[in-house]
Amino acid sequence: MTDIVMEAKNVYKNYGKTEVVKNVSLQIRKGDIKLVFGPSGSGKSTFLRCMAMLTMPDKGEIYLGEECLTKPGVDLNKARARIGFVFQHIYLFRHLTAFGNVELALRQVLKLPKEQARERTLAALKEVKVFDCINKYPAQMSGGQAQRVGIARALARNPDIILLDEPTSALDPELTGEVIDTLRDLANEGTTMLIVSHEMPFAREVAEEMIFYDEGTILETGTPEHFFNAPDSDRAKKFMTRIIYKTTRE
Amino acid sequence: MFEQFQFIPLHYNLILQGLQLTLEITLFGVFLGLAVGIILAVGDLYGNKFTKGILAVYVEFFRGSPLFIQLFLAEYTVPTITHIPIDPYITAFLVFGLNSAAYQKGYIKGAMETVYDDQMAAGLSTGMSRIQTLRHVIIPQALRIVIPSWTNEFCSLTKSSSVVAYVGLFDLVGAGREIIGQTYNVLPVWLFVGLIYLVWITGFTKVMDVIYDKKKIPGVDLLMQ
Amino acid sequence: MDVGQEIIFLLGGVPLTLSISIISFLIGIAIGLPLAFTRVYEKEVSFIVDAYEKIFRGVPEIVLMLMFFFGLGLYFPFPFNNAFFVAAFVLGLRSGANQSQIYRGAIRGVGDEQMIAGQSVGFSKWRAIWHIMMPQVFTFSTPGLGSEYALLIKDSSYVWVIGGLAEIMTRSVWLKNVPPYDVITPYVFAAILYIALTFPVAFWLDRWGNKRKKNIGL
Repeated sequence: MTDIVMEAKNVYKNYGKTEVVKNVSLQIRKGDIKLVFGPSGSGKSTFLRCMAMLTMPDKGEIYLGEECLTKPGVDLNKARARIGFVFQHIYLFRHLTAFGNVELALRQVLKLPKEQARERTLAALKEVKVFDCINKYPAQMSGGQAQRVGIARALARNPDIILLDEPTSALDPELTGEVIDTLRDLANEGTTMLIVSHEMPFAREVAEEMIFYDEGTILETGTPEHFFNAPDSDRAKKFMTRIIYKTTRE
Repeated sequence: MFEQFQFIPLHYNLILQGLQLTLEITLFGVFLGLAVGIILAVGDLYGNKFTKGILAVYVEFFRGSPLFIQLFLAEYTVPTITHIPIDPYITAFLVFGLNSAAYQKGYIKGAMETVYDDQMAAGLSTGMSRIQTLRHVIIPQALRIVIPSWTNEFCSLTKSSSVVAYVGLFDLVGAGREIIGQTYNVLPVWLFVGLIYLVWITGFTKVMDVIYDKKKIPGVDLLMQ
Repeated sequence: MDVGQEIIFLLGGVPLTLSISIISFLIGIAIGLPLAFTRVYEKEVSFIVDAYEKIFRGVPEIVLMLMFFFGLGLYFPFPFNNAFFVAAFVLGLRSGANQSQIYRGAIRGVGDEQMIAGQSVGFSKWRAIWHIMMPQVFTFSTPGLGSEYALLIKDSSYVWVIGGLAEIMTRSVWLKNVPPYDVITPYVFAAILYIALTFPVAFWLDRWGNKRKKNIGL
């Protein structure tokens, strides 16, 4: 039994003619909190979706534990049930309340009986602190509340890992705080997380390892201290200066 | 002048009988159209080239030719070719249902496509299969989005149902013809029949609007605006 | 009559079918455009437009044709004794109601800013409508108008109910009632004929509209 929760090996993905994921490899162990950052459009989100098998890689392998997901004949639905995914644009089920959003997969995927599903749903919503939104529809919530419900939806199945695709990018600045607090709580509880984000203060505080992703590949990896003080590559240096300048200005 | 409208109390039973058939055809047509329309929409979204081709022919036939011709084909041509005797009522109901399905498929497919990309990604991310996501996430939202178009379909079907009087069925227009046959009172009868249609359709539309307003889910139903 | 002769006979109905459709379409424009602009820009009288639309949404065309031809035709033989007139008239009025809705949607699609811009350069309300809104409204309306035209071609078949006009539908029924009492060819071919008339126009109108939309930056 390895304690590698997920692994990407030599993954390639094209969008039309552009190669947005070029020979990317990554390992995540249990309890890791890794943060992927870099310029927009460099392919980070696409790579994350490949890891969750929401987008099929063109070449390469994705492993969930010991199971290779990119082999033909694999039950992707079962695999995805073990992965929690949080979307940049939230993507809550519009026709369901917060409760319904979290409960749906528990009943349909995990096939839990009604009472048990109800308990776990309530627990998940409590944990992300949106209990008062429980009967509200997505259109009636603020962005921050909706995204926290999205996190609850990903959490409720007790997945092996949670993948987050720029969870705060689509939110108004005042609302990002509540989501970041939630993520911080999760990190402190030892949840395995792979996050794509450019929230630098959060990265500094919570991430164990930061991964600089530019133009389709991983250019550099290191601890937050490494990146904030002395990155190796020029591109990383340039990016960090710009980002830190932007963050301190706000 | 008013004695011309005396036919109303005298023949109101004929009118009610005709109205009943009109309503039956309309309701059956809308619901059969919905059921078949969903199947057609899903088939069009996921089908291969062959399936899509057949669907295109189906839709083009029902949307491109007059209802009169469709009805006559069903009531006269098809039985002659297949030598199977048909029930004129069942045939008429089927034709209206299949006709409505051709239109409803368009509405439903459009609604599904509006929500499809993000909601399918969200559904898959929770571990549900494509089919589960379709069933629990996409189709429920699509159906809510198309509810306004049901009101439209209903009105349209009620109006078109008037053609069945000409294949021997006793609907509201058929009732009108019967009454005229007995009283020779042409203009008042048609005015009255027209008024019944008008009141029924306008009233139904109003009621549907109120129901829709009360039951809508914020954030879903405004999507098509 | 053999099949070939039947087909030719049916084809002979095309001019009348087309005439009814085109004339009622034009009547529809003449009614629909003013109604739409009035509804949007002169709110006090908009209830008239609403009432008009409600009537034609709520009464079947067949009933209207029967009412005019057999009802009014008794008192006013001219023009209500003429089947062509009644058909084109009823369908024209109905089309006016439909087109009023189509143009209303198009006006909303073009947007208020265009109207405000027009007035800002000195146009009065109705001159702005004429010079600025109308051309753009047409471009936006093409899909709706395409389906309205197809609807008129199909509904021209209703005129069979009042009889006396040898368009496609009437001819196909006529063939069924004379030797050799063929119920297959007339209806099958009539269906093909109608589809041939509705499909291309709707299709090309759609494409023309989309191209124009791209050109004017939409």
